[in-house]
Amino acid sequence: MRLTGLAVRGFRNLAGLELEIPAEGVVVVGGNGQGKTNLLEAIYYLMLFRSLRGAKDRELVQFGEPGFWVRGTAADETSRNIQVGVRYELSTARKVVFLDGAEVRKLGDAVGQILAVPFGPADSEIVSGTPGIRRRFLDVVLSVSRPGYLVRLLEFRHALRQRNAALRRGRAQEARVFDRPLAEAAAFVAGSRRAWVEEWRERFGELCAAMGEPAAADLRYASQVEDSGSAEAWWERFEHSAERDLRSGTTTVGPHRDDLKIGLGGRDIRFYGSAGQRRTAAIALRVLEAETLTRYRGTAPVGLYDDVFAELDEDRQGRLLELLRVSLPGQAIVVAPRDAEVPAKLFDRPRWQIRGGQIVR
Amino acid sequence: MSAIEEAVAELARLPGIGRKTAARLTYFLLKQPRAVIERLAKALLNLAEQVKACSVCGNWSDTDPCLICADTRRDRSMLCVVEDAADIAAIEKTGEYRGLYHVLGGHLSPLDGVGPEQLRLDSLVARVANGSVVREVILATDPSMEGEVTATYVRGLLERYGVRISRIALGLPVGGDLEYADSVTIARALAARREMTG
Repeated sequence: MRLTGLAVRGFRNLAGLELEIPAEGVVVVGGNGQGKTNLLEAIYYLMLFRSLRGAKDRELVQFGEPGFWVRGTAADETSRNIQVGVRYELSTARKVVFLDGAEVRKLGDAVGQILAVPFGPADSEIVSGTPGIRRRFLDVVLSVSRPGYLVRLLEFRHALRQRNAALRRGRAQEARVFDRPLAEAAAFVAGSRRAWVEEWRERFGELCAAMGEPAAADLRYASQVEDSGSAEAWWERFEHSAERDLRSGTTTVGPHRDDLKIGLGGRDIRFYGSAGQRRTAAIALRVLEAETLTRYRGTAPVGLYDDVFAELDEDRQGRLLELLRVSLPGQAIVVAPRDAEVPAKLFDRPRWQIRGGQIVR
Repeated sequence: MSAIEEAVAELARLPGIGRKTAARLTYFLLKQPRAVIERLAKALLNLAEQVKACSVCGNWSDTDPCLICADTRRDRSMLCVVEDAADIAAIEKTGEYRGLYHVLGGHLSPLDGVGPEQLRLDSLVARVANGSVVREVILATDPSMEGEVTATYVRGLLERYGVRISRIALGLPVGGDLEYADSVTIARALAARREMTG
């Protein structure tokens, strides 16, 4: 898939942009605070209609503006064109999403129409941060690659909120009737996550090795229910923890407490990995994300690279670029603070400057 | 506030009516003869003065008990449990059901502070409890998560009275195209498939 056009207004410091994106991608160079990351974030917003960095929609609105809109056009290998647009209004907090010009009734129907995978300095957080960040990583990958996942995830969260509200009031019977819908959604969510991990764990090891990591890398889905795809198993687990949940006033087991464990040489990378190893693992996870989308959506996502090459030495830079050439053959949009930090291999790409939220060619 | 603004503001409080529609309705009414407006005002006042919830089933009615509960030709062994009185009108329109109804007045939703005591459950149990002529209870709450959960809860309350408890079937809409149905509906319809006999 490649992005052919992008129009942005009132989004962070991007007051007004209308760009045609070259088919081979583009390198955008600009100093701190000029809008490089905002540009990538605007593109990413078209996939999930949520901020890449977890910001609230109102925080994305440029100061003094009534709201923002972002519109992108993309073409896949068959040259089928799609246009995705989103408009957010600050005063009403209303978000409207358009697909090929028509308003979509359910936001979920437009999620993942444009496919992008972000690479950036914040990715290390996936590896070293809280389990919630890793669950979010899995949820994003599955929401855009597995049909029905997003709907079931939202169902799960809804059932969980209902059950927790009943528990908070000490209502055991009312909480209990939500066990069934909760278990069914939990089985789909946790079962899908576990299946994804099983499918890609070997590849994860290969990718880390290809980036020069000598220790064996592995992924594991950690859940209190071993048979994660079974609604019966989850149901029993919820029954079993009913009393404890009532005492705590919240649901203490479930996919919302699961984790993606990343091992290196048999030990948890969170506690034993070096900064370099964590960066390698984070990049490998992003590459898995790209390969998943390519396999299940039939088109390579757009790669959004936020200053990822600067931190790597020349050897690792070379290995990464080679990896990306194979694993992420789609369009690349690269941002960097200085010309010197753009890898030589990307020198032949069109190059733009960004200054004060404006593109200067 | 002028009379026009007041009318617009009142109409805009109705569900599904925004300010634009409210203004359109107001200007439409202004052009009508006085008698039309009086009839409308009277009809609205009558709602407040004459319509009450039936003390048996909870349906809105001018009479108590309501016409359905008072109808001796209806099958008193069947009870259909619905969330709202509006659901009764929908089922009655089919002409397929000849039993009685029971309106819960909503569904369980702890998030909205709706628990069993906010629903008409005591009167339901009383209607089904020992010595009752009710043989079957049809749970026709909405096919939403809360509707399902409410049905489960009601089943738990009624189980001990030895009545037959059934849940209204969920599945594909009649006259619809399978390919246009959403995946959750199709999955449900597959799970609830039935053997073809005869």
